[in-house]
Amino acid sequence: MQQQKVIMITGASKGLGKALALHLAGKVHKLAICARNEEELKQVENEIHRRGAKVVAAVADVSNKKDVERFVSITENTFGKIDVLINNASVFGPGPTYLADYPDEAFEDVILSNITNPFYMTKRVLPGMLARQRGTILSITSEVGITGYAEWGAYSVSKYALEGLAAVWADELKDTGVQIVLVDPGEMDTIMHKIAVPDCNYSLSSPAQIARALQSVVLDETMSLNGKRFEAQDLIEEGPHDD
Amino acid sequence: MMINSTIHSFKLPPYLHATTPAEVTRNQRSDVRLMTLHGDSGAWDHHTFEDIIDLLQPNDLLILNTSRTIPSSLRTVDGAEVRLSRKIDEQVWEVLILEKRLNESTTLYFDDGISASIVGPGMAPELTLIEFSIGGEGLMHFFYNHGQPITYEYIDSPWQLSHYQTVYSHQPGSVEMNSAGRAFSHKMLKQLKDKGVQIAYVCLHTGLSYYENNRWPDPLRHFEWFSVGADTVEHIYKTKKGGHRVVAVGTTVVRALESAYDPKAGLQPQEGLTNVYIKKDTTLKVVDGLITGFHEPEASHLDMLCAFVQEKKLIEAYQAAINEQYLWHEFGDLNLIWKRTYA
Repeated sequence: MQQQKVIMITGASKGLGKALALHLAGKVHKLAICARNEEELKQVENEIHRRGAKVVAAVADVSNKKDVERFVSITENTFGKIDVLINNASVFGPGPTYLADYPDEAFEDVILSNITNPFYMTKRVLPGMLARQRGTILSITSEVGITGYAEWGAYSVSKYALEGLAAVWADELKDTGVQIVLVDPGEMDTIMHKIAVPDCNYSLSSPAQIARALQSVVLDETMSLNGKRFEAQDLIEEGPHDD
Repeated sequence: MMINSTIHSFKLPPYLHATTPAEVTRNQRSDVRLMTLHGDSGAWDHHTFEDIIDLLQPNDLLILNTSRTIPSSLRTVDGAEVRLSRKIDEQVWEVLILEKRLNESTTLYFDDGISASIVGPGMAPELTLIEFSIGGEGLMHFFYNHGQPITYEYIDSPWQLSHYQTVYSHQPGSVEMNSAGRAFSHKMLKQLKDKGVQIAYVCLHTGLSYYENNRWPDPLRHFEWFSVGADTVEHIYKTKKGGHRVVAVGTTVVRALESAYDPKAGLQPQEGLTNVYIKKDTTLKVVDGLITGFHEPEASHLDMLCAFVQEKKLIEAYQAAINEQYLWHEFGDLNLIWKRTYA
């Protein structure tokens, strides 16, 4: 059996976050999950219990720093540490929309949510990781974080910012034992994708497939990952690169 | 109990109460002043806090307290303030109830349908044991959803909980901030490491430092949970063997380390409760230097400082700090004290 790790996942009530939580629960890891929707979160919590893992489940909006403090502190109080943080939570905002048509309030909300949440979460888990000189912080990005496509709106802009956030942090944290990693999961069959591409006519990966592909990045401590950016499709086909 | 001593009799001018975090009024947490005090000579010098990078030497060992401040000031539905002091178990806490009328009631009522029964006296006459209607994670959620940082009367703004954390804290449990380490930034810690200064950790969850109405904790009845790990013990032995210095960041670190010292076995990994009272006749076994804030005349912390420097020299230095307008309390300036050499 693998060493018991404490893995924290934001936005774990649906999509990739949920798939990761359930997949890792099957590996009997200790999980800390959060989401804004209590009912959906409870369902995931129950399923994790059924799979034999321990879990801290907190209703929390991680773009709110008070919620971040509560979620992380309760996890540290319960499990004593956090080995891996997966910054998964994000919002898409309005469906396909030209930036010129984008509602101001929605733009502000998406940018604020998607940038502040990985910043608050990363900053808050760092002290424990730095003291132990180990830890992985993995953020879920997107192809639209490096290529601007029409009508992906504030979501795309926010993922560009996430890529910048990760790059700065990776540089500041080199040689500390804490690794900053980006993963682009590719297009998945999720509610968010239905909003982004309502008329999708091509096949999509399932979140469960992507969750399995990410296992090595989440759990393997032998790889030097800091500052790396992975595409999940490559992980499915070839395993992680370390080049 | 308070020993009758001149160090407890100096007057602190009200304008020296620090009311605001340094990063709010200036730029960085580290933008505070540092007074160094040499235990042997009693001489002092004035610095900025960032000078600590020059004042410490490669292979000196800086020891930080990892305890993180929890929101410890609660309000009952009637508006009475209840301050957490120490966790007893998953549901029972030792607390300070500020409104006397509530002492006559046996149940306290809070928001979200949470209540607490008074189940007995605390370790000090001012404290009370209460049992909450819930425990564990649920009680922690309640603290974080409804609690606030404890603020004393010299604080005139409701600062956020994040202002009451050191940048390196990660074990929730202190009811007040371990304020000596507040001025360290991640950048400064990196600069110290790059210089070769070593860093190790202990954990001590602070209790209340003041019971209001001029009531102060009796150190012998002031129990706090602490933990000193094997890695830190090993680090300290290595530092001492190499002729380098162990510098505690905060009186909490001194208390933890000296509590883990066994007269027969030496420093040992240990965790549990401590009520060790360090005062002028205490011979410090582990710590060579201390970074600490400036303490109020009534605080027992001053007794601990007298273990580092003679009381007469300490009062002279404190008078100099007052003359130089150093700021007091958790958002204030800092003092690096090097232990006097024992005969």
